[in-house]
Parts: sequence; structure tokens; C-alpha cells
Amino acid sequence: MRIAGTSYTDSLVTQLNYLTSQQFQLQGQISTGQRIQRPEDDPAGMSQALSLQADSSSAAQYAQNISTLQTSATTASNALQQLKTISDRAGEIATLADGTKTPQQLQTYATEVNQLIQEAVQVANQKNGDQYIFAGTKTDAPPFTATTDANGIVTGVTYQGNTTVSQSEIAQGTTVSVGAPGENNSGSGPRGLIADNRYGADFFNHLISLQKDLSSGNTSAIAKSDAPALGKDEDNLIYHIANNGLVQSRLEAGSTTIDNIATADQQSLTKVAGVNMTLAITQLSRAQGTYQAALQSSSVLLQMQQQVMQYL
Amino acid sequence: MPGLFDTLNLAMRSMQAQQTGVTITGQNLANANNPAYSRQRVNFQTSDPTPTQGAVLGTGVQVAGIQQIRDLLLDNQLRDEGSAGSFWTTTQGALENTQTQLGEFINGSAASANGASGTNSATSAQGLSTQLNNLFSAFQAVATDPASLAQRQNLVSQAQSLASAFNQVSSRLAGVNSNLNSSITSDVGSANQLLSDIAGLNADIARTESATGASANDLRDVRQQKLESLAKFANVATSTAADGSLTVSIGGIAMVTGTKLTDTLQTYDAGGGQLQVRAATAGTSITLTGGSIAAEIQTRDGALATLRTGLDSLASQLITQVNGVYTAGYDLNGNTGANFFTGTNASDIGVNSNLGNDPSQVQAAGIAGAKGDNAVALALARLSQTPNAALGNLTLGDAYSHLVTNLGNSLANANEQVANQDSVTSMLTQQRDSISGVSMEEELTNLMTFQKAYQASAQIVSTINLMLQTLVNMKST
Repeated sequence: MRIAGTSYTDSLVTQLNYLTSQQFQLQGQISTGQRIQRPEDDPAGMSQALSLQADSSSAAQYAQNISTLQTSATTASNALQQLKTISDRAGEIATLADGTKTPQQLQTYATEVNQLIQEAVQVANQKNGDQYIFAGTKTDAPPFTATTDANGIVTGVTYQGNTTVSQSEIAQGTTVSVGAPGENNSGSGPRGLIADNRYGADFFNHLISLQKDLSSGNTSAIAKSDAPALGKDEDNLIYHIANNGLVQSRLEAGSTTIDNIATADQQSLTKVAGVNMTLAITQLSRAQGTYQAALQSSSVLLQMQQQVMQYL
Repeated sequence: MPGLFDTLNLAMRSMQAQQTGVTITGQNLANANNPAYSRQRVNFQTSDPTPTQGAVLGTGVQVAGIQQIRDLLLDNQLRDEGSAGSFWTTTQGALENTQTQLGEFINGSAASANGASGTNSATSAQGLSTQLNNLFSAFQAVATDPASLAQRQNLVSQAQSLASAFNQVSSRLAGVNSNLNSSITSDVGSANQLLSDIAGLNADIARTESATGASANDLRDVRQQKLESLAKFANVATSTAADGSLTVSIGGIAMVTGTKLTDTLQTYDAGGGQLQVRAATAGTSITLTGGSIAAEIQTRDGALATLRTGLDSLASQLITQVNGVYTAGYDLNGNTGANFFTGTNASDIGVNSNLGNDPSQVQAAGIAGAKGDNAVALALARLSQTPNAALGNLTLGDAYSHLVTNLGNSLANANEQVANQDSVTSMLTQQRDSISGVSMEEELTNLMTFQKAYQASAQIVSTINLMLQTLVNMKST
């Protein structure tokens, strides 16, 4: 084949451009660790990367949701344990206050029960941050307000929250509810913490009744009605404590799952969009070697042309 | 029998012929780096012989003509491949610009999204996908802590950031559209200038060849170069007339006929400022299939339009879906009925301005007076997982990913086509150069040949001169 003078340079320029472009691309991949940087690099891979990134972003948010809910669940757990302690002591008093006790002893118990009621109201008005945790979703106001007489005896406790609780997602389509409404006598919906007529729970009113019966020395009523009623309150509290434990377990398990998903997403992202360093460095070395060879060969050709002219 | 003067004339003709050879070699060498130049060759032929008694004696050599070495088939192929190459190169450039303006890149140095591992990972740092993810994460965060003003403020900020990103991308893509229209106008102007030049060259060639009876090689080279330049703007068809003039047609309409410029290209607004091309005189719309103008029109009306429409549709659905849920919600003050997003598409999407000043107005609750209620915020967060009929039953994120993938596929295809075209053009160019290109070695060898022949002819002149002197001296003695 006849070779024109410009063919050498044209071919050299084309080849050098190609090799430079190849080196630029490989250099970019090696310096960033990314095989895919732009959609054009691998459209299908880019789509996978965007999907994995969305999953990763969701996982990150679910992890934050779980962390927030864990704080709230721990606060609720502490409050439930305190209410359980109060309930235990009230039940103990109801058992101790039998016919063998003197009126003075019963009055002392009555005074203690009154203090237990006030303490229980305080605990039931527990906040997580600035949110009341047993107010249903009316979290901005104390759910329970105690009414006292002139002697400081609690005569009634009013619930001001509502009967709904919010659900939060800890994974796609998986929700948990950390809080509980303070009361729910509507006959449906989430179980009330202090009062729920479906389960015979009415803790504050039962405590007030106990306090009144202790003050009046009506040990018979204490044994026949107050103690059994308080037993139902105890059962209700135990349900909530158990439920809280279950929620915390779910959150813990959810946290582990989300961490695993996040790690898997990152690994998949690296696999999809990351570069095989060994391969890329080998290819770069090869491209650099070819580039140098191309320059070297062009130098030889130029020397040959000079020789032809020297011959003249 | 010829005389000494006849031989002297023979030597003189030979020297003139060899000198022409040296001149053409010089011309070839001078144009060795001119890509438009086709090498020329001197065709020698024996000059008319002189009949004498008993023999026909030769009179030496003469230049029969100067031939341009060209392969018309390769010329036409290169012209057509130039058209295809220009189409794909322009498409590649326009799509690269579109890709850049979309701004969806994977940044390998960005920190991990969840920060859990503490290692760097592959994430998209600046693109709309990240902004979209951030919005739905912010809805989730509000759903988990609905009374938190900090989370509400974060939600509003993320939404504003997303809306701003939509606006910017939309504006930048509109800029790409506008630039393509400008390029169409500019390219049409350049193509018309080339058509005019070709008509002028047709006239020059006809005139020169008519006057000299020889081929106007250099003018034909220039015309071929202009034709190949024209093909880079629009695919052309040509035919050569008997007088050597070239008829040039674009889209089936003759633009140059003989020495006349019979028509030109003209842009016109086909609606919405989207320029198309027609024949100015004939008034016929022209559908181009090759060259940069076709690439600009097809990219603008194809991949770019699909992306812009898709983004508008995405933004529209985001606005509709979010507002559809959000309007029924209640804010921390018990108010309801407001919209979260304003606008109708990617160019004008915005966030309810009241929210920026007072995030308590974010309507996250499903019932009034319950600040801890998150029903609406949770429903909004779940929109990210909801297939949307208007988006081909894809989620918002998947619909965006689909747009990005489509653009990536278009550009990857253009990259491949450009590489293929480069190879084809490079091979054809080498083929043509092997025929028409100047070989230094060949020309230098020719130079030596002509030089030696010239020297030999000069030697004949010297010899005849000596013979004549001898003859003259005979007479004087």
C-alpha cells in the first residue's frame, strides 16, 4: 500500500488522541475509585447506583428513626417501671389494710396512697424532650391533671390527651408505636395506660377509691373491690411494660437489620460503581506503554524521512 | 535525416518537460501537509515524430497533461461519512452538555449517607436524586418527631433545596435547547456560505477549463474541500455535469446548479421557538438525516426534549402527589388546607413561602389539635414508595432514575457511534491518502529522476553545441 506523508501524522495523532483519552478515563477512575462517574459511563450501572443510593438514604433515615424511637421507648420504659412500683405499693397497702389495722394505721396508709396518686400523676405526665409521652398524639400538654380538696387530698384526675398514637416507620412498610394513650375508654384503638374499660383498668380512680376507703376505714370494700381493681391495673401496667420491652426488642432488631442493609447497600454501590483497581492500573500501564511506543515509532519515521532528504 | 538543430530542439523539449516534472513535484511537496490537496502527476508523451526517408524519427518528449490523482468513489464515501461523523460528534457534544447540565454524577469522595460505617462510599453528591431522597427522609424525620420544629425546619429546607435544584436544572436544560437553536442558525449560515462558494467555484472551474482545455486541478481540490465541509453541516447529494460543474442537492432540493446558487437553507420557527430548516426559495421543509444541523434538531427534539418533559412531569407529579396528601393535614396551630409545593413543573416548582418563615405551619398531623400526630407526614414519606400511573407506574425516584438512564444510554450510544465513525473515517482517509496523498519519499525520488533526466538532456545540448562548434570550425578552416 502506498503511504502518504500525512498518513503518518494523521495516524499518529488519531492513535495518541485515543490513548490520551483512554489514559484520562483510567486516571479518573483510579483517582476517584469510581468506574461510573457519569450516566454515560454505564447507564444500567448508573440506574442501579441511583436505586442503591435511594435505598441507602432510606436506610440512613430509618436508622435515625430507630434512634429517636429508642430514646422515647427508654423514657417510656422508665416511667412504666415507676408506675409499676407505685402500683406494687398500692397493692401491698390494699393487702395490708385489713381488719387488724387500727384507724390510725389505715389513715397513715391513706396519706401514703394520696402521695402515690400524686407521684403517679407526675410520672404519667412524663416528657421525652418537650413531648408528653402518655398523651396520645396531644403531646404538647400534660395529659393528666389532678384535682385536690382543701386538705390536699386528690379527689379526681382528669385525662386531657386523646386516644390515638402515632406510628413510625423503621423499615419500608414496617411501623412501630412507642407511646400509649393515657386513657382509652372508647372501646377501640390502642390500649390505655392508666385507664381502659376493656380491661377494667382505671388506675387513678382505683387509687382514689382506695384512699377514700382507707380514710373511712372500710376494709371490707378495700378487700372486695379496691384490691381486685388494683390487680387489673397491675395487669394493664404489666401489659404495657411487656409491650414496651417488645417494642425495644423490635427497635434493636430493626437497628441491626438496617445497619446490615446499609452495609450491604454500600458494598453493592462499591461493586456497581467502584473500579477494579488492579485491572485499571494494569490497563493504564499498558496505555502508557503504548503511548510511549507510538511516540518512539513516530520519532524513528521522522528520522527516516530526514535521511531521505540528506540522501538528496 | 534530422539536423543538429532538430536534436537541439529535442533536448530543449526534454528539458522543458523535466522542468515541468520538477515544478509539479515541488507543487506536490509544497502541499504535502494540505489535507485538501490531491497529488498531481505529469503525463509525458512522445512528441510528434518526423517522418524521413526510410525512417520515422522521434522528436523527444512533451507534457501531455497534468493529472490530478483522485478516486471519486472514495471522495463520495468520505463526504458521506463526514456527514455521519459530524452528526454523531455533534450529537455527542450536545448530549455531553445535557449530561453536565443535568448534574447527576456519582461522587466517589462523598461521605456515606448514613455515616454508619464511617468510610467513604459511592454517593451522588449534587444530583436531583439526592435532593429527592433527602426530601422523603425529611418527611420521615418529621413523621418520627412530628412536633419538632427543628425537623420541620429541616423538611422545609430540603424541599426548598429540591425545588431550587429542579428550577436550576430546568433553566440549564432550557439553555441547552436555546444553544442548539443558535447552533442551527449558525450552521445554516455557514452551509449557505459554502453553497455560495461551491457555485462560485463551479463558475471558476468551467471558465478555467474552457479557456485552457486542461483540468483545473487546484480549484477542484478547493471545491471538494468545500463540499466535504458542507457535508459536515448537512447530508448532500451531488452530480457532475459535462462542463465539470457540480450540482449540489440537500433534502432532494437542488441548491447549486451549474454556476448558479438556486436555493439556500433557511431556519423557521415550527412553534415554541424550535427552529426547523427549509429551502428558502422553494419553501419546502427539509428533513436532514446527516450533518450537524440534523444532529442539533434531533438531539433537541429527542433526548433533550424527553429529559425536559420527563423532569417537568416528575416535578408536576411531585407537586400533585404531595399537595394531594398535605392539604388535608393540620399544622401545629390547627390550621389546614394550605399547599406544600407551589408551581406546576420543574421550572416553577417552589415551596409555600409561609413555611420558610414559620415551620410550625407544616401540616404534618392528620387531626387538628394533636401536635404529636404524624399521619400526614407518614403518608407523605410513603409517597416515595408509591408507584405513579402518570409516571408509567414508577415511583418518583425510579422515574428520575429512568430519565438519567435514558440520557446515559443515548450518550453511550453516541460515544460508540463516534468511535465507529472515527474508525471508518480514519480508514477511508488512509485509503484516499494512499491514492491522492503526497508521499515525500515518492516525490523526492521523482525529483531525483527529473533532475537526472534534465541533466542528461542538458548534456545533449552541450554535445550538440560542441558538434556545432566543430562544424563551424570546419568551415572557417
